[in-house]
Amino acid sequence: MKFGPKSTALAVLAAAAIALTACGGGTNSGGNGGAAPTTLTLATLQDIKTFDPTDAHIGHRMPIYQAVYDSLIRRAPDGKLDPMLATEWSYNKDQTVLTLKLRTDVTFSDGAKFDAAAAKANLDHFKDAKGQDAYQAASMKSVAVVDPSTVAITLNSPDPAFSYYLTQALGLQASPKAIGTDGIKTVPDGSGPYVYDAKSSVKGSQYVFTKRAGYWDKDLQKFDKVSFKYLVDLTARTNALVSGQVDGALLDPKTGKQAEGAGLVAHKSQVDWQGILLYGRDGKISPALANVKVRQAMNYAFDRKTILAQQYLNEGTVTDQVFGPESGAYVPALDNTYPYDPAKAKALLAEAGYPQGFTLKIPTIAGYDAINAVFKQQLSDVGITLQTESIPDANYVADMAAGKYAGATFQLYQGEPWVAINQMVSTTALYNPFKTEDPELTALIKAVQNGGDKSADEAKKVNEYITKNAWFIPMFRLNQMYFSSKKIDVQPQLQQAVPSIYNYAPAK
Amino acid sequence: MNEPLEFVGQTGTVVRSRVIAKILKNPLGLAAVIVLFAMVVLAVLANMLAPFDPNFANIGKSLASGDAVNLLGTDSVGRDVWSRLVFGARTTLLSALLCAAVAIVIGLPSGLIAGYYGGKFDGVSNWVVNVLMSLPGIIVLLTVRAAMGPSVWLSMVAFGILMAPGYFRLTRTAVQSVRNELYVDAARVAGLSDTAIISRHIFSVVRAPIIIQTAVICGVAIAIQSGLEFLGLGDASVATWGVMLNEGFKNIYLSPLLLLWPALAIGLTIGALVLLANALRDALEDAEKIKAPRRGSDTAQAALTATRRRPDRNEAASVEAGTEHHLVKVSHLGVGYPQADGSIKKVVDDVSFHVDRGEVLGIVGESGSGKSQTAFSILGLLPESARIVAGSIQFDGKFTVSPTDDRVSQARLGEFRGKRISYIPQEPMSNLDPAFTIGYQLVTPMMRVLKISKSEATQRALKLLDDVGIRFPEKTFAAYPHEVSGGMAQRVLIAGAISCEPDLIIADEPTTALDVTVQADVLDLIRDLQKGLGVGVILVTHNFGVVADLCDRVAVMQNGRLVEDGDVRDILRNPKDPYTQKLLGSMLENKEPLTMLVSAGMSAGQAIARDDERDEKEMAQ
Amino acid sequence: MVSFILKRIASGISVLVAIAFFTYCLLYFSSANIARNILGEFASQDQVHAKELELGLDRPLLTRFFDWAGSALHGDFGVSWFTSEPVVSAITTRLPVTLALVVVSIVCITIVATLLGMAAAVKRGWIDRLVQGAAVVGDAIPDFVLGIVLVSVFAISLKFFPATSSISPDAGAGAWVASMTLPVIALLINGVASVAQQIRSAVIKQLEKDYVRTLRSRGIPEWEILFKHVLRSAAPAGLTVLSLKFVGMLGGVVIIEQIFALPGMGALAVQSTSQGDIPLVMGVVLYTVIIVIIVNLLVDLINGWLNPKVRVS
Repeated sequence: MKFGPKSTALAVLAAAAIALTACGGGTNSGGNGGAAPTTLTLATLQDIKTFDPTDAHIGHRMPIYQAVYDSLIRRAPDGKLDPMLATEWSYNKDQTVLTLKLRTDVTFSDGAKFDAAAAKANLDHFKDAKGQDAYQAASMKSVAVVDPSTVAITLNSPDPAFSYYLTQALGLQASPKAIGTDGIKTVPDGSGPYVYDAKSSVKGSQYVFTKRAGYWDKDLQKFDKVSFKYLVDLTARTNALVSGQVDGALLDPKTGKQAEGAGLVAHKSQVDWQGILLYGRDGKISPALANVKVRQAMNYAFDRKTILAQQYLNEGTVTDQVFGPESGAYVPALDNTYPYDPAKAKALLAEAGYPQGFTLKIPTIAGYDAINAVFKQQLSDVGITLQTESIPDANYVADMAAGKYAGATFQLYQGEPWVAINQMVSTTALYNPFKTEDPELTALIKAVQNGGDKSADEAKKVNEYITKNAWFIPMFRLNQMYFSSKKIDVQPQLQQAVPSIYNYAPAK
Repeated sequence: MNEPLEFVGQTGTVVRSRVIAKILKNPLGLAAVIVLFAMVVLAVLANMLAPFDPNFANIGKSLASGDAVNLLGTDSVGRDVWSRLVFGARTTLLSALLCAAVAIVIGLPSGLIAGYYGGKFDGVSNWVVNVLMSLPGIIVLLTVRAAMGPSVWLSMVAFGILMAPGYFRLTRTAVQSVRNELYVDAARVAGLSDTAIISRHIFSVVRAPIIIQTAVICGVAIAIQSGLEFLGLGDASVATWGVMLNEGFKNIYLSPLLLLWPALAIGLTIGALVLLANALRDALEDAEKIKAPRRGSDTAQAALTATRRRPDRNEAASVEAGTEHHLVKVSHLGVGYPQADGSIKKVVDDVSFHVDRGEVLGIVGESGSGKSQTAFSILGLLPESARIVAGSIQFDGKFTVSPTDDRVSQARLGEFRGKRISYIPQEPMSNLDPAFTIGYQLVTPMMRVLKISKSEATQRALKLLDDVGIRFPEKTFAAYPHEVSGGMAQRVLIAGAISCEPDLIIADEPTTALDVTVQADVLDLIRDLQKGLGVGVILVTHNFGVVADLCDRVAVMQNGRLVEDGDVRDILRNPKDPYTQKLLGSMLENKEPLTMLVSAGMSAGQAIARDDERDEKEMAQ
Repeated sequence: MVSFILKRIASGISVLVAIAFFTYCLLYFSSANIARNILGEFASQDQVHAKELELGLDRPLLTRFFDWAGSALHGDFGVSWFTSEPVVSAITTRLPVTLALVVVSIVCITIVATLLGMAAAVKRGWIDRLVQGAAVVGDAIPDFVLGIVLVSVFAISLKFFPATSSISPDAGAGAWVASMTLPVIALLINGVASVAQQIRSAVIKQLEKDYVRTLRSRGIPEWEILFKHVLRSAAPAGLTVLSLKFVGMLGGVVIIEQIFALPGMGALAVQSTSQGDIPLVMGVVLYTVIIVIIVNLLVDLINGWLNPKVRVS
C-alpha cells in the first residue's frame, strides 16, 4: 500500500523550509558594509508612556525624548552643564531666583518659535501635570517672562539640584501649540535634532526618528536615522545585539561575557549602588533595627568582595557609603568602615542584646531572588534570619513606601547629593517611610540646602553621619554594562543608566 | 443439550495479556514507567538523596562545574544543583498532582451526575464548562498571581479548576454512552440502585480514560508551571524545576549545563507521562501487536514464515490445469491469526470448494464457523493481522492467493474488487459512510471503476435504485444514510454491489440484520438479480431456510472446517455428516416447514409495495 | 442553522459577561497599589490620593464594574491607566501579531499532525512507534526551550533568521515570513504531538469500521478512502483538540513572544496583569474570549458540515 501523497507533502514542506531559509536572513544584519553608518539602532529597556514631556522620566527613557526635544540646559557626559536652549544662567544672592537667557533662533517642527513665553508655558505645564518626575518642579514657585529671550524662575527655597533638573524632564521644551494637547501624546512636537517617523514606528515595539532639516546645531546630529527597539527581555536584547540587529544595548555582567565574545565593545560606568535599605530604624516593625549596633553588625556580616566576584563577576566596586565618587559628597576613607568581620558582627549583636540573633522580614521579587539568597546565607552565618516574602513586582516600591517592611534589598541611582538626600535621607524622602530623623542630621541637611556652591562639601558630613550610623547596608556600586558594535563610538553619561543620545557618533 | 460436539478445525486459543503486562511489553511504555518511577523515588527520598539544603548558598562557589562535593555543580548563588533538582522533583510533581487532583475532584463527580441524570444540572454545568474552557489559561493565572501572590500551590489550584472541564466532558460522555447500554438497563431491572450502577458499571468504563487524561494533565501542569516560572513569575524561594530553568537561562552563556538539568528533568517527566498515557490507551484499545517470531523457534508462526511469504506483485504462478473454468476455486485454504505466544489460532482450516459462473453457493454454519472469514479471504478484506497459513484461492483462472502467499495479494485483488467481485455486507447502516449522501456513494465508485462521466453514473445509479425496488429513487439518492431505514439501506448496498456488473457477488448474511418481512423481499431481489445478470453468488448464512430458497449448492462449515458440501437438495434431504444432521435437525425438527412470511392473499409485488410504503413513511419524518 | 448560530452567540455572550465579572473581581483584589505605581516613586502622598480618586479606586466593586461594562458596550474600553493609550488601539495594534502567529502555527500543526497521525494509524509498526516517539519528544520539550535553542542555533550561530521579530510595518512580506519562521517552528514542534495522537486514534477507530471495508470492496483506492472518507469522519476528534490548542496558544504564546520580542498581546498581558492596569487587562481578556467564542462557533459549524448527523441537533 503506497502512501504517495504523504511523501509528496513532506517533500513540499521540506522545500518550503529551504525556500524560507533562503529568503530569510540578511535582512537586519545591519549590513552597511564599510560605508559610514547613518543609522543608529538602540535597544531600550523601558518603554515610554507617551511622547508628552511631562511623562518623561530620568534614566532609560531620556534618550528617546532627547531625540525629539531639546532641553534648556544640556548635561555633558562628565556631568558639566552646557548651554542648550538656554545660553547662560545664574542665581541671585540667596539662591532663590534663577535667571536664564534663551536662544532666539530656534523653531519647533510645527513652525512655532521658541521664546521665553514658550519656556514659561512648558515649565508651568510641567508643574501642573504632576507627571512621574513632578518632584523636579517641587521647589518651583513661579516663572516670569522678563523679555522674549529671558526667563526668571523663582523657587520656594534653595534647591541645589534645580539646574540639574533643567537638563532632565523639567527642562524639555515642547511646542507651545502642542503643550497639554492629546495629540502630543502620540506624535511628539519639539525642536530636537530628529523628527518622529510615525509610519515606521510601532508603539511598544520600535520608535524611528529621522534627521531634522534646519536644526540649529548640526554637531548634535550625528546620524540620518535613529531608532529605538523596546526589548525588555534580557535574552532577546542580547540576541539582538550579538546578531547585529541593534548597535547598542545595556546588558548585565553575565550576558556581557557573550557580547564580549562576539567582539562588541564594553562601556562601563557606575550609576547605581546596591544593598539593603534599613529604613525600619525606628524599630516599630523590627525592634532590633532601632539599635545602631545591630545595624552596624549587619554591615560587618557581608563579604562584599566575594559576593561581587561571584555574583557580578567583579563588575563593580565594593563600597560602604551610598554617595557616589562623582557626587562630591564621597569620602574615600568611609569605604573602610565595615570590613568583612563575622566575629565582630556577632560581638556587636551580643552587645546590643541579641546574642541569638533575630529575624528580619524583607520583600523579594524575581530580580532580587538570587542576591537575596546570598544575603540570607551571609546573615545566617552570624545568627540573623532573613525571611524573604515574594510579592508581585508592581507592589515592590509601593510596599516599601507604605512602610510594610522594615527593610528591603534595592538598587538606587547615585545622583547629586541633594537629590540623594531627598531620595532616602530627609523626612520627606520616599525611601525613609518611617521618617526617621535626628537633630544633628537635620542641621547637616539644612547646611547642604543652603550651601550654594559648597553644598557638595556639606553633604560629606551627611554621608559620614549615615554611614557611621549604618542607615543602610551599601554593598557595591555596580557597573552598567553598556555594549556597542564597533561601528559606533559612544560615551557613557554620568549618573544616567544609558548614554544620552548626544553621546553617540559613527566610529572614526 | 446432547453430548458436546467434537471440536474440530479451529485450533489454539486466543491469548490476551493483562493490561499492565501489555504496557510493560510496549518498549515505550516500559521506558515511561521506569522514568516516572525514578522521578517519584527522587521526590520521596529527597531528604536522603540531597547532600545540601536546596537554598543553602555557598557564596564563594557559584557557577561551579560538577565535582565530588557538588555532583552537578552549583548555580549562580552557589546552591547545589543536584539537591535543588531532587527537591524540585518533589515540589514539581506534587504541584502537578495537586492540579490534577483539583481537576478530578471537580470534574469527575459533576461529570458523573451530569451524564447520568442529565436535566438541569447537565445544562448548568455545561454552561460553566463553556465559561471555563473559554478562559485563556495563562492570562487567568497571571491575574490570579497578581491578585494573590506567586505561590506555586495557589496557581496549581487555579489551573486545576481550569482543567476540570476536561474531566467533566470525559466522564459525562463515557457515562452517557454507557447509560444507554443494555446492561445498565438490565442492572436497573435487577433492582440495583443508581449508586451501585454508577460505581460498578460506569466507573469501570470511565477509569481508563481518566487515568490517561491525568497523565496528560500532569504533563501540561508541569509545562505551564515551568513556563510561568521561566517568565520570572514564580516563587523563587521554592526550588522547582521551572525556577531552575529560569536560573539557567539567566546564566546561559556562562554555564550552559545549568539549563540542561532542569530541562532534561522536565522533558523526561512530561515525555514519560505522555508515553505512559499512550501505552495505556494502546493496551486498552488496540489488538495485540504481534512480534515477528524469532528465527529458529519452533512455534507455529515460525513454521509459517518458513513456508510462506508476502505475495509477489508480479508473480504469475499458474493454476492447476483443468481448474481455470471455475469462477472461484478455494483449495485447502487455511486462515489464522498469530497470537502473543507464537502460536497461530486457525479460523479456517483446510477448506476447499468452488463456485462456477451463474451458480449460487451457500456457505452455512454457526457463529464462529469461519464462513465469513472464508468469504473475506476471497475478497481480500481480511484484517491486517490475518495470515493465510495454507492453500490457495484462484479467481477466473488466476491465483489471488498463491500457494506460497501468506496474505491475500492486494495488488491483484485491487483490480477485481468492485469490478468483478463485489460484496453485500450484513449490517446495512454501519456499512454506509454517514458523512456522504447515498447518491455520492453509488456514483463515485462507478465513475472510478467503469470510467464513465458523472451524469452517466447518476443516471445509472437512479436506475439501479429503481431496480432494487426503491420507490422514490431521487429522494433516496439525495438522502444521507441515517435518513433511510435499514431495509432501504440494504437495497442501496445491493445496488452498489451490482452497479459495476460483477462476475461474483459475495453476500455476507445479507438479511440477518433486517426485519423478517423485509428479509423476504431482499432475498427475492437477490434471486431476481442473480437470474437476470447471471452472476455467481456466494451466500454466507446461518439460515438453512435462505439456503433452501436461493442456493444451488451448499457447503457446511464447523469450527473452521468444511464438513460437507454438495447440491442443495441432496444435502437438505440426505445430510451425511452428523453435524449437518444436527444442524438441520435443530432447525426443522417438529416444526412446520418455514414459508415466506407473506400475509395470505398478498402477492409478492404487493408485499414489496407495502414494505416500501413503510420505508417512505419513515423517510418523511 | 440560523437558530443554532443565534443560540451559540447568546450562550457566548453569557459566557463573556460571566468571565468579565469574574476577572474584574479578581483584579479588584489586586488593585491596592496602583496609584502609587502609576505615579512612580517620587510622587507625594497627596498626588497618590488624588490619582486614586481620579481612577475611582474608592468606589465599590459593583459600581465600578457596571460603569466599565456600560462603556464597554459602546465599544469604549477606556484608556490604560499607565500609558493613557486607548485600550482598543493598544489591543488592535498588537492582536494581529499574536493572531498571525497562532493561526499560522495552528495551520502548520494541522497539516503536519494530520499527515503524521494518518501515517501512524495506517502503517502501524515501526512508523507508528517512530511518530509516537518523535511527537512525544516534541511535546515534552516546552516551547520556550525550543525557542531558545532555535534562536541560538539558527539566528545567532547560523544567521539564517533574524534574532528578534520586531520589524517595521513597512518591511514587506519576505521579512515578515523570516521573522515568524522560528517562533512558528517552536510552536509547531511542541504542538504537533497531541493533535497527531488524536488523529491517529480517531483514524484507527474509523479504519475498524465496517463501511471502510465496504468501500474497499467497491474498488475505491486506499488513498481516497483515507483522505476523503476516513479523514472526514476522524476530523471532529482532531478539530476538538485543535480548538483546545488554539485557546491554549492565545495565552501560551506569551513566552515565545517574550523570547522573540514579538510586539503581540503576550507582553501586553504580562505587563498589564503585573501592574494591575485594570482597563487594559479587561480589554485583553475580553478580546481573547471573544476570539475563543468565535473559534468554537466555527468549529461547531465545521463539525456540522463534516457530520450530517450532527447538523440536525
